Amino acid sequence: MIVLSPLKKFQFPVIAECISPDIFKGKSLAEIAKLEVWEGNKQRTLGDLFKIEEDKAETPDIVINGDASEVRFVGKAMKSGEIVINGVIGMHLGEKMAGGKITVNGDAGGWAGAEMKGGLIEIHGNAGDYLASPYRGSSAGMRGGTIIVDGNVGSDSGVYMRGGVIKIRGSAKQFLGFRMVDGTIYVQKECGTRVGACMTGGKIVVGGFLEEVMPTFTIDSIKPKVKIDDAESANGPFYVFLGDLAEEGRGKLFVSKPANPHLSSYEKFL
Amino acid sequence: MVVVKSVTCPICGSLCDDIELTIENNEVVKVKNGCALCESKFLGYKGEHRIKTPLIRKDGKLMPVSLDEAIHKAAEILANANYPILYGWSSTSCEAQRIGVELAEEIGGVIDNTAVVCHGPSILSVQEVGIPTCTLGQIRHRADLIIYWGCDPWSAHPRHLERYTAFTEGRFEKSDWKGYIQKVKAAAGKKKIESAVRRGVVKRPKAQPMLQHELVNAPPPTLMKEGRKLIVVDARKSMTAEMADYFIQVEPNKDYEVMQAIRALIRDQELDVDKVGGVPVEYLEEVADAMVNCNFGVIFFGMGLTQTAGKFRNIEVAISLIRDLNKRTKFVIMPMRGHFNVTGANVVFTWQSGYPYGVDFSLGYPRYNPGETTCMDILLRGESDATLVIAADPGATFPRRAVEHMAKTPLIVIDPHMNATAMLGDVVIPSAFVGIESEGTAYRMDHVPLPLKKVVDPPKGLLSDEEILRRILEEVRAIKAKKMREAEAA
Ligand code: SF4
Repeated sequence: MIVLSPLKKFQFPVIAECISPDIFKGKSLAEIAKLEVWEGNKQRTLGDLFKIEEDKAETPDIVINGDASEVRFVGKAMKSGEIVINGVIGMHLGEKMAGGKITVNGDAGGWAGAEMKGGLIEIHGNAGDYLASPYRGSSAGMRGGTIIVDGNVGSDSGVYMRGGVIKIRGSAKQFLGFRMVDGTIYVQKECGTRVGACMTGGKIVVGGFLEEVMPTFTIDSIKPKVKIDDAESANGPFYVFLGDLAEEGRGKLFVSKPANPHLSSYEKFL
Repeated sequence: MVVVKSVTCPICGSLCDDIELTIENNEVVKVKNGCALCESKFLGYKGEHRIKTPLIRKDGKLMPVSLDEAIHKAAEILANANYPILYGWSSTSCEAQRIGVELAEEIGGVIDNTAVVCHGPSILSVQEVGIPTCTLGQIRHRADLIIYWGCDPWSAHPRHLERYTAFTEGRFEKSDWKGYIQKVKAAAGKKKIESAVRRGVVKRPKAQPMLQHELVNAPPPTLMKEGRKLIVVDARKSMTAEMADYFIQVEPNKDYEVMQAIRALIRDQELDVDKVGGVPVEYLEEVADAMVNCNFGVIFFGMGLTQTAGKFRNIEVAISLIRDLNKRTKFVIMPMRGHFNVTGANVVFTWQSGYPYGVDFSLGYPRYNPGETTCMDILLRGESDATLVIAADPGATFPRRAVEHMAKTPLIVIDPHMNATAMLGDVVIPSAFVGIESEGTAYRMDHVPLPLKKVVDPPKGLLSDEEILRRILEEVRAIKAKKMREAEAA
């Protein structure tokens, strides 16, 4: 196990794509310390910016202790192994991740799990905007794997999602699951508006308050409960909406009935 | 006395190029064809706020220095910075912007233009779904349905209606000016009656305050008439709305829902709701009909769409709407760009780096991720350690926390005027007005490049933005080469 601790509070962005179990594997401490990172527009080595120690314990493979809020691209494209972050972590955590596990005991920046293909990300704090969403101009959303966020997430999360599961124990901001094609998103608490806009498939479950359903969703039925994944299901009852009609989509939006009495006007269409 | 014809107006994105200026003793004395904004700029640019000499902050005060000293100081700050940002660029020439990109690459900085606070969202959505558009000339000659959504050209782009859209005489579409005059007369008559009511000449029961849903009138039958029609959609009744055949007042921040609903209606889908964004669905159905039945439609959109809830998703849905409409008829869309050359900034940045704004060169190659590599976000996170601002005034427009960080780190300002940002600056370099005192190229909102003319000489000693930047770039290269030599020697 390698333990990394920032040597100072970073002001400039630190681009550290090398912090990944696949890259660290089989390298000595000295070799790890020589890996390239960028701090602002200056090229540095990992050893310039972090204190690097080895611990006897086998797992997790990498531990980051301290404020890493400016450290970006940790666990990029990782395929196996485990990273634990005790503190805040910067943007692009686990980008294009295909396997393994990342645990954050703190908050994560934007674009966590962007374009993720597999594996597990657990964030025990809040996540920023664009959780599991692709970059500009790309429609390659999350394809597989699981993301669990104990806190709240920002806007535009799960955009263009094509597979996998996102569970949010707190609330989510607007445009959750925008242009979603497949997969499952579960928000336990309040959800911002425009949830599921332009979705054509997949499933979004809102357990808390939702101010308004997009006008282009049509009510289908009321269901007592809904399955999230093999391990979990949510208890309702839920209003089930289908949409987005503007895209002739068949996505399913489950909205808690008890938490949203103002949506009862839809019942007349059932 | 000389008269210069076909001058391009360097103010708004309409970039009118038919202005006639009369010059006497190196001064503009008469402006023909321009709107009020244009006149006040050409006649009043020499105002009292003009900076006359380069300034450097010493002991907390801005002190006059030589141009060489100011340029050296600016270059030194930029060459030594770890994460500098170069911001502004919308009110200068493409030639200056090009050198700006070169400078950003040389110093490993982030270059960003004011699109980030106006039409950046439009560009983001264009990257997601593409954009069906055309030139203003085509709209002028062919468009029979003109929609202004979230913008007020009558105030912000005064000649837009008259030169390019509803009130211009096109080859295939006639001007709607006469209809407008009739409407104005009718409105004047209505006002007379109202004032008579107020004076008590005519008795009428007291009016109740109007509710939001009552503000939206039913579409008039003229929406189906032949010839040009003008629809305005906005959260408030603007000057342009007064002229429109039909004005739809949407509840603030509900544009997204309204557009998405129109999209569904165009696909003949039934909606489960009666109203969207305060507008009854049956009215929207008529609007959707008018859209489908026109021969050539256009949506112009402004910051009422790009800077309200949903931001770039609002534009994305607008573009998706246009895409759907093009299955049935011909429809195009165009952003109403504000600053005269913000389009140029996006174009130049794109052909130089591949990205339109928020380009980060810190890793040696261009990287682009709005939200991460955009100037405002960098300032709010406090990451930058030097700023160069040119042809913009973020000191007056950015949130306080961003301005505070900008003021805390070394700040270089290049501008003709002593604006709020220049007052915070550590190095201030005055420049000549592009389009008046120096020439260049600018892009109109429809991506047509037009030449900017030099009609008078700048005050003595003032250089154009382009020349100032070129000198800073040369100086940066000299400083870096010297550092390299020293490092090798050591
Ligand atoms: S509309 Fe714009 S470009 Fe045209 S004259 Fe007026 S300010 Fe200048």
